[in-house]
Amino acid sequence: MDSDKKKQINRRTFLTGAASAAIAGGAAATIGCKPTGLLGSTEAFALEFTEYFKKYYRLMSQEEREQTVARLERLARLKQDITVNIETTGPAENVLYGYAFNVTRCEGYMECIKACVKENNLDRKSKTQYIQIFEMEHGQMSPDQGESKYFHMVPKEGHFYMGVQCYHCDNPPCVKACPTKATWKEPDGIVVVDYDWCIGCRYCMAACPYMGRRFNWNEPEVPREEITRNQHYLGNRKRVRGMMEKCTFCIQRSRKGKLTACVEACPTGARVFGNLLDPDSEIRFVLENKKVYRLKEDLGTEPKFWYFID
Amino acid sequence: MKNLTTQKNLFYRVLFGFIPGFLLFFSCLTAFSNQQDVASRVKKATQKLDKAHQVDATIPVPKNIVRATMEYQGGAFFTEARKSEIKRFKCSSCHNNKQVSILNAADISHADIKVNHGDKEAPLACNTCHSSDDRDFLVTSKTSKIDLDHVYDMCGQCHFRQKKDWIGGAHGKRVTYWAGERVVKNCTSCHNPHYPRFEKRWPKTYSVPLK
Repeated sequence: MDSDKKKQINRRTFLTGAASAAIAGGAAATIGCKPTGLLGSTEAFALEFTEYFKKYYRLMSQEEREQTVARLERLARLKQDITVNIETTGPAENVLYGYAFNVTRCEGYMECIKACVKENNLDRKSKTQYIQIFEMEHGQMSPDQGESKYFHMVPKEGHFYMGVQCYHCDNPPCVKACPTKATWKEPDGIVVVDYDWCIGCRYCMAACPYMGRRFNWNEPEVPREEITRNQHYLGNRKRVRGMMEKCTFCIQRSRKGKLTACVEACPTGARVFGNLLDPDSEIRFVLENKKVYRLKEDLGTEPKFWYFID
Repeated sequence: MKNLTTQKNLFYRVLFGFIPGFLLFFSCLTAFSNQQDVASRVKKATQKLDKAHQVDATIPVPKNIVRATMEYQGGAFFTEARKSEIKRFKCSSCHNNKQVSILNAADISHADIKVNHGDKEAPLACNTCHSSDDRDFLVTSKTSKIDLDHVYDMCGQCHFRQKKDWIGGAHGKRVTYWAGERVVKNCTSCHNPHYPRFEKRWPKTYSVPLK
């Protein structure tokens, strides 16, 4: 009897249902039943309120995921007047993403950065970028000694270029640091963030030895016509102020079999992306035939990002 | 009485000696048992995967591709075609024994092509690669004809190291998809064959410091 009652109404569903109905009704009453008004559209307000009570992504059932995606798509329609397609594509079996970067080939054109900013709807106001390209003198090994703020004709004599981004560690310290488990490693090796579960404490940012994470200090601003419409719940969907974000190996692209935006944009072919568990893949050829190294390997973070030389 | 104290001693020894020891041992065991480094996990994955079904998506095969003459570690692969990209192919439509009117000779001659390929003292000439007998083909140093679509065989004569990397996947890049049928860029998709080195230019954007 008791457990039946609990099943029918628990605290969360009660609050969600009752409060959203009350707010929506109240808002409608104050505005006088007009569809738009001081608080914006009542539908948008009700949707946002329901969104506020949704679950942690990993605990959602497929149905709940579809519901939240439908709400987010509708909100994009109402608030920004754009049609977005948010996916919840899961990891495929026998896939472990890996990345290799050819330091001999990279010429520092920064086309990858531009493509990444466009693909992942990164904030244009604070110039958030997932990728950094370091200009380094021959003989230097660590990007600490390099210069990422260069702006001159490239490639410069006597220099080489090294791209740095999230390495999607197999033993990620950021995941261990997160107090709310808002960031985790997916079975296909991608380290993702549930943006709605992140509380913005930035512990993960401090824990990452590679400076791979970015914080939204302000509400991200993306010009309406430049928004990438093909989105993923864990990837490039709209983010808000006060939460972490990071490179997701373009989860909305890679899980559909596409190359990440940076790889596709690279004009010199310095970037290699593929499935580490496929013995025929390009990334496996690089690992087996080239001189490879990883950054700060001694930390035991096991990054799935290798640098190699020709 | 003495017997009792020794028993007590033994009891404490067990309590503070063995039990924490066991606890430490098992905690270490559980902590490190599921920690397998990527390299060994990758090395163990030797089973061939079905190229077409690695992800749940239909992967289209792009147009204008040709099957390469050799195979990579995973079998046959495709590369971008070249002939369809050349505006005035076939070459033999002009390079034949018929006369060309002098009026548009300036437009259709190849005076705009600058050759900067090879050693500065001994740069390559047109006929190093282009066949003087049959303009629709390239010609190797051993006088065998090469179709323009399979230009990698031509480049690979000197750049054999790059060709080996290109076949394997360490040089060049795939077209759009990492999964599905392997389609890679041809040499001439990225390099201008007459001027193969990438030129100096301005970066596309700039970075602001993180700190």
